[in-house]
Amino acid sequence: MSGDPKGQSHSPPVPLVALATWFIPGAGYLLLGQKARGITIGVTVLSLFALGLLIGGLHVIDMPAGFSFDLIMRKPWFIGQALAGIPALVTGFCAEHYNFPVSHARMNEIGTLYTAIAGMLNLMAVIDSSSRAMGEPQARGQGSKRP
Amino acid sequence: MNSFFASTSVLLAAEAYHYLPFRNPLPIWGYWYLLLLPLCLGVSIVYKSIKSPAMRQVPRDAARLFVAIIGGIILAAIALALLLRWIGK
Repeated sequence: MSGDPKGQSHSPPVPLVALATWFIPGAGYLLLGQKARGITIGVTVLSLFALGLLIGGLHVIDMPAGFSFDLIMRKPWFIGQALAGIPALVTGFCAEHYNFPVSHARMNEIGTLYTAIAGMLNLMAVIDSSSRAMGEPQARGQGSKRP
Repeated sequence: MNSFFASTSVLLAAEAYHYLPFRNPLPIWGYWYLLLLPLCLGVSIVYKSIKSPAMRQVPRDAARLFVAIIGGIILAAIALALLLRWIGK
């Protein structure tokens, strides 16, 4: 159950892998044939994201009113949360349009932290899966052993 | 008399809090600090899944990193508590 391809001759385009990992956490690794890695990362990122929603309620995803720089900077946590991909965008839309109650104080802060960290971990996965798609020997786990 | 009404209203509010998952915040105000554990576990698993060359190493490496993070946080908490006590003297 290593999940690493041995002697893979060609891999999907790098932008496709990056976008797949961003939209659905772990999906880029599945495109590369690394099932164990993709499932582990995807399930963990989505679990952290779902746990954040469970802790603070759906309204911890607080979408800005527009996509201008000024409006986004008023809610900077959304940048981290949006990196979790489609689940974050769908949750933000639902929380905004279906009148979910706004949470406050510590539970809101912890839920926001969970969802933003899930997004930032997914960013790490986007960068790593892209470098694996580019065929870097270290990223494929065929180079020198990393700590 | 005022304190009686205040305590009664707090009790009524607690009774009225009807928890719905994903809609209302989780009612765990008493032991929120335990939420640190799943967060650190998730960070450890994802980080080691990215860094480890073979997925077979991930469970052991992630467990080590998890213990290291929690240990570091506990040490930092002890150091800060001692610092505060020293400043308070």
